[in-house]
Amino acid sequence: MKQTINIPLGSQHIALLEPVRFKFECENEKIIGVDSDVGFVHRGIERACTTKFKFDSIGYVVARVCGLCAITHSLSYTVAIEKLLGGEISKKAKYLRILLLELDRIHSHMLCLSHTCENAGFEAMFMRIMGDRELVMEIQELLTGNRVQFDYISIGGVNRDLNSTVALKIKENLYEVKQRVLGYMDEFTNNWSLSLKFKGIGALSLDDAYIFNAIGPLARASGLNIDVRNEIDYLPFDEVGFLMQTHSDGDINARNLVRLNEILNSILMCENIINGLPEGEIFTKIKGKPNGEAIVRFEAPRGELMYYVKGNGTAMLDRVRIKTPTFASIPAFSHIFVGQDYADAPAILASFDPCLSCTAK
Amino acid sequence: MKKIEVSLDTVREVIEGFYEYKKWHFLTLNGLALAENKMEVQWIFSKYEALEETVVYFAQIAYTDVIPSIVDLIPSAIISQRELVDMFGVQVEGSEKGLYLDEDSLQNPLSGCSL
Amino acid sequence: MFSSFAKAFTNLFKTPQTIDYPLTPIEQEKEHRGLIEYGQEACIYCLKCEKACPPGAILFVPVENPPENEKNKKGLKYHYNPYLCIYCSECVRACPKPDEALWQSNKKSLPATKEDRVNESWFELERLKKQTD
Repeated sequence: MKQTINIPLGSQHIALLEPVRFKFECENEKIIGVDSDVGFVHRGIERACTTKFKFDSIGYVVARVCGLCAITHSLSYTVAIEKLLGGEISKKAKYLRILLLELDRIHSHMLCLSHTCENAGFEAMFMRIMGDRELVMEIQELLTGNRVQFDYISIGGVNRDLNSTVALKIKENLYEVKQRVLGYMDEFTNNWSLSLKFKGIGALSLDDAYIFNAIGPLARASGLNIDVRNEIDYLPFDEVGFLMQTHSDGDINARNLVRLNEILNSILMCENIINGLPEGEIFTKIKGKPNGEAIVRFEAPRGELMYYVKGNGTAMLDRVRIKTPTFASIPAFSHIFVGQDYADAPAILASFDPCLSCTAK
Repeated sequence: MKKIEVSLDTVREVIEGFYEYKKWHFLTLNGLALAENKMEVQWIFSKYEALEETVVYFAQIAYTDVIPSIVDLIPSAIISQRELVDMFGVQVEGSEKGLYLDEDSLQNPLSGCSL
Repeated sequence: MFSSFAKAFTNLFKTPQTIDYPLTPIEQEKEHRGLIEYGQEACIYCLKCEKACPPGAILFVPVENPPENEKNKKGLKYHYNPYLCIYCSECVRACPKPDEALWQSNKKSLPATKEDRVNESWFELERLKKQTD
């Protein structure tokens, strides 16, 4: 008779940033079953949105769902409300929104890469990437006035204009970040601890990516062409040079490379935006009360984020449904763990870049 | 956004006939509290590599109804089904309580009737 | 191998990324979103900022000795809770006289101690506000 042992990972673990608990059923070293508990940081934001706050301040409430993709949350909500109210925002505001969205993606991917390094036991690289990430945080603060909670998007446009000194600083810093990222590319492809050790670990095949509805870098590393930036028309991503980054291996190494390539693509997009920023107003007043339902999707750093908003013609909304990327990927995560060694579990988990604040909301 | 009404008896057949796993992407299962102790359940899909194509199947049900599970058709639906059970207090086949909420917390926060 | 040795050697002479905090002061961004400041003389008591504030960090509550201002017919006094404020500057955008009556500074809020009674005093104000509505 085969014997299995249950080993937990979490809810507090050295390799985790946020509380999540996986219960692994192991046979010797191999994981054969996974059970997950994700609700440790549930704050009831969906209920608060429909009972405590008026629709015009919910943009700031949903930004507090998650610190890393705050901008994607408030942007998705705001676009949903703009759809319901039927307003059109200026082209300049759209470009500035993409600019901040991509800066956010750069710093979030850098955070994920640094944690992948940390879980591989490469502390020096962790410190280096976190140090270089400050360059992006700095320009985010210059652009929006804050490092993490940007509060940059409001219904009808954006809150701050981009002046020439900030634009220059952004260009300088992004050039610097680009050089560093090219350096990481070398490390992540040639360094033993970062690339060869990760090859073939935690792989997700293309077919499984389809079956489990994988999203974000996780799916793109398996070769699935899913990037919401390609499937929406409320922001002109194709005009600023968006290119989908995919890989075919599906393992941890492939995910790292997809993230690195996405950083480079985002830097290119930011440069294009600053070079070709159209003239115009940054804010258009949109009046009215939302009525009807709207579904809005955006590509957060971790994958597809969906907002469903239903209004009833008053200031209070009927329903705000937030579908966050990590939440939707949990079945895929559980599938990947099966058949892997327990010792690899923290590294695999870090490569997913899970965001539990988003998941539990 | 295309909305198609289904009933609880037929929803499994409809989704089975509609869902091609390489063509459609299952977004999520959504619940919506309505008046008179009713709620709306929505199965939301989007098309891969198409511009803004979302299809929503919806059914209006009472809180006492049992929603059929679609996990055997779409394995990733399990997590949304468990969320729906926690948030609205309805029953979904094969989905247990306790993903988000503990036993001593407020139950069914989004159902709009029992707080 | 050699390149990593060379890198380690050059790293010895690099300046650190961190700053020597108490000796070198932290650089404060000029455009940092900080505390909201209020100019009592210019205020016209339209209460737009109070309505616009998402967390409800601005309250106008009637007091016995209201500040002297001819626009202040209901005898209200401005209260601001820096610990509730999220610095989004919705109030400043809602204000009909920004820069004179209400503006955003780049100051950061100081930590509060128990003696400041931050929560209790604010809850009292909220209760007062509810009674007058």
